[in-house]
Amino acid sequence: MSSIAIPRPRTYERPVVLDWLTTVDHKKLGILYLYTTMFFFFVGGTLALVVRTQLAVADNSFVGHDLYNQIFTMHASAMLFLFIIPVWAGFGNYIVPLQIGAADMAFPRINALSFWLVPPAGLLMFSGFLFGGAADAGWTAYSPLAQRSGTGMDLWIIAVILLGISSTIGAANFLVTMFRMRAPGMTMFRMPIFCWTVLVTAVLQLLATPVLAAALSMLYIDRNFGGAFFDPNGGGNAVLWQNVFWFYSHPAVYIMILPGMGIVSEVLPVFSRKPLFGYKAFVFATMGIGGLGFGVWAHHMFTTGAVLKPWFGFMTFMIGVPTGVKIFNWLGTLWRGSITFETPMLFALGFLSMFLIGGINGTFSAAVPVDFALHDTYFVVAHIHYVLFGGSVFAVFAGFYYWFPKIWGRRLNERLGQLHFTLMFIGFNLAFFPMHLLGLEGMPRRIATYSDSFNWQTLNFISTIGAFMIAVSTLPFLVNVVMAFSRPKDQPNDPWEANTLEWWTTSPPPVHNFDDVPEVHSERPLFDYRHGSAASH
Amino acid sequence: MPVSRVPRRFRQAAFLLAIALFAISSISLASAQSGQPAGITVEAHKMHDLWIFTLIVALVVFFGVEGAIVYALFRFRKKSDDLPPQTHGSTVVEIIWTTIPVVIVITLFTYAFIVLRDVENTADPQDLTVHVQGFQFQWGFTYDLNDLGTNTPDRNAKGQIVITGTPQDNPTLVIPVGEPVEFTLFSSDVIHSFYVRDFLYKLDVIPGRDNKFVVNPREIGTFHAQCAELCGLDHGIMRFTLKVVSRADFDKWVSEQKVTQPRAVQQAR
Repeated sequence: MSSIAIPRPRTYERPVVLDWLTTVDHKKLGILYLYTTMFFFFVGGTLALVVRTQLAVADNSFVGHDLYNQIFTMHASAMLFLFIIPVWAGFGNYIVPLQIGAADMAFPRINALSFWLVPPAGLLMFSGFLFGGAADAGWTAYSPLAQRSGTGMDLWIIAVILLGISSTIGAANFLVTMFRMRAPGMTMFRMPIFCWTVLVTAVLQLLATPVLAAALSMLYIDRNFGGAFFDPNGGGNAVLWQNVFWFYSHPAVYIMILPGMGIVSEVLPVFSRKPLFGYKAFVFATMGIGGLGFGVWAHHMFTTGAVLKPWFGFMTFMIGVPTGVKIFNWLGTLWRGSITFETPMLFALGFLSMFLIGGINGTFSAAVPVDFALHDTYFVVAHIHYVLFGGSVFAVFAGFYYWFPKIWGRRLNERLGQLHFTLMFIGFNLAFFPMHLLGLEGMPRRIATYSDSFNWQTLNFISTIGAFMIAVSTLPFLVNVVMAFSRPKDQPNDPWEANTLEWWTTSPPPVHNFDDVPEVHSERPLFDYRHGSAASH
Repeated sequence: MPVSRVPRRFRQAAFLLAIALFAISSISLASAQSGQPAGITVEAHKMHDLWIFTLIVALVVFFGVEGAIVYALFRFRKKSDDLPPQTHGSTVVEIIWTTIPVVIVITLFTYAFIVLRDVENTADPQDLTVHVQGFQFQWGFTYDLNDLGTNTPDRNAKGQIVITGTPQDNPTLVIPVGEPVEFTLFSSDVIHSFYVRDFLYKLDVIPGRDNKFVVNPREIGTFHAQCAELCGLDHGIMRFTLKVVSRADFDKWVSEQKVTQPRAVQQAR
C-alpha cells in the first residue's frame, strides 16, 4: 500500500506550563478541552446532588428557594454550555484531524482562541455566586422573569455569548479542516462517521448560535439600557424571547447529541468487527436530523398558545424517522457481528438502550394534546436526561474509554470500567425513570419543594438515591484514570483493531501526527490495511 | 460454536415468545395502569385516550427494538477469531425500516391532530367565565355576577366575586360540574402557567397576551393545582385548590361570597 509523507511543522522547546498555555496543537487543546469540560461535569453534578437532596423529602429546607433557583439554573447551564457542547469540541479537536489524516486543524490559533474562551466564560458564569447570586431564571432565561433577576443574570448572558463565539469560530474551523485537509483518497463519503457528525454539528452551530447571541444581546439591552424587546410592559413581546431562544436551543439539542451518535457509530463497528450498517443512510439521517431540527423549535412552546401547534407537532414527529433509521443502523451493525464487551462497547450499548428510551418518550410531547399534560413537568425532565445523560454522557464515556489509549498512550482497567458502567447505568435509571411517573402525577419542574400530601415522596427519594449512585459511579472512573497515569505509555498504535486513521499513528501521536498516511480506499482504511480491500465485502 | 443442546431455532423462538409475552403484558398493564390519571373533564378523557394509544405504540416499539438489541448481544457475541460477514447495508432493509417509522408517526400525528381539534373549544358567551390572574406568587380568581353560566340569576347584575390567595393561604377555585367553564388568563408581572393536573392541561399565563380555554368538568371532587412555569422565588409554592361541585352547591357558594363592585379600569396590563 502506498503512503504519502506529510510535511512536518516546526516545533519549539518551551517550559511545560508555558507550552500548555500557548499551545496551538490540536491535541493539546483537545486535552485542555477534555480536562476543562470534565471539571464542569463534576461541578454540574455536584449542583445536581444539591437539587436531589432538596427534593429527597417533602417540605425540605436544605436550601432556600432563592438558592435553589440558582442551583438548578447553574446545574443546567454548566452541563449544557460548559460540559456537553465543549466536550464534543474537545473530542473533535483531538480526533477529527487524526481521523482525516491531517497534521492539525485548519486554523490552529483560532482553535486556541476557541478553547481559551471557555474557562473565563465558566468563571464569569459562576462568579454570580459572589455578586449577590448567580442566574436564577432557569437555563432558558424566560423573559420577563430574566429581566427581574440580579447581576448574576448579566454575568450569565455575557458568559453564554462568549461560549457562543467559541463554538461559532470552532465550527468554522472544523468545517474548513474537513473540507480542505482530508488525506489523499478520502472522499467525503469515506470520511469517518464521527467526522460527519461533527460536520453537521458545526453547520448547526454556524446557523443557530448567532441567533442566540443576538437574542442574548437584546436581553442584555432590555436589562441594562432600557430596551423592551421582550418586556410587554414596555411594548415588547414575552413570547418573542421563547421563539428566538428555542430557534437556537432546539438545534442545540442536536449539537449536544450528534457527535455522541458519531462516537457510538465508531465504537459499535469496532467491537462488532463489522462496518457500520448503512453508512450513507446514516450520513443522510444525520443531515435530516440537522435540517428538521430547525423546524421544531416551537414544540417547547405548545402551552403558550402562541404557536401553530399542528405544524410543529408534525415536524417533531417527523424527526423520529431519521432518529429511528439511526437506531436501526446501529442494530444492523450488531447483527451477525462478532461482539465483544470492552468498556467503550458497554457505554455505547448503554447509549443505544437509553437513547432509545429518550427518543420514544420524546414522541409523547410531539402529540400536542398529550404535551399539554406533560409540558413543564418531571416527565420532560426525564426525557431530557434520557437524551442528554443516557445519550450524550454515556457517549462521552464511550469515547473516553475508546480513545484513552490513543490520547494518553495507556489503557484503562477493564474491571474498574465495568464497575463504573454498571453503577452509572443502574444509578441513571434509578434517578431518572421515576421522573416519568412524577411528571404524570403532576409534579412541575423547577419547584423548590412539594407538599407531603401530593404522594411524590417515594419516587423522589428513589430518584435521589439514583443520583448519589451516579456520583459514586464516578469514583472507580477517577481511580481508573489516576492509576492509568501511573503506568507506562505502552499502548500499540491500534489496540482495538479499529478502522480509522487515528489508529495508524503512534499512541499518543507525535506533534505532527503522522509520519505518513496510507492512501484511503474506503471508510475503513485500517481494516483495508489489515485484511486487504477485498475482505471488506 | 455455542455449546448447547437446545436447537438454535427453538432458542430463537423461545426468545421471541418471551419478548412477545413481555410486550403484551406491558400493553395490558399500560391500559389498566398507565401512570397518568384519567382526568376529570370531557377533554381530559380524550387526551388520556391519546396518551394510552401513544403509550402502547411506544411500548411495542421499545420492546421490539430493545428485544432485538438484547437478542443480538447474546446471539452474536464473539465465538471465534473468524471475521464475521462484512455487510455494508441493504437497500431493501433500509427502505423498510424507514417506511415503518413514517407510518407510525403519521398515524400518531393524525390521531393527535383529531384530538387537538376536539379539545380546543371556543367558549359560548353563555358559559361561566372565570378570570384567572397569576401574580408573584399566587393566584386570583374573579367571577362576574352577570356571567355565571347557564344558570346566571341576573344577566344585568353588576359586581364580582374576587378570590385572592396568599402564600400562607392557598386560594380555592370553585366551578360547577357538567357545564362548560371558560378560563381567561392574565398576568401583569412574569409568565406563569395555569396547571390543573386532573385537567391534563395547562396554559401559560403570559403578560401582554390574552390566553383562554374551555373545559367541561364531569367529576365532582377536590383537586390540587399549581403554577407550572418558573416565575421566581416562590414558584414552588404557588398552589391552589380546585373544587368541582354540583350546580346547586355552586349557586350556594356564590350566594355566600362577598360581592365587590368592579373597578372602572382593570388592573394595569
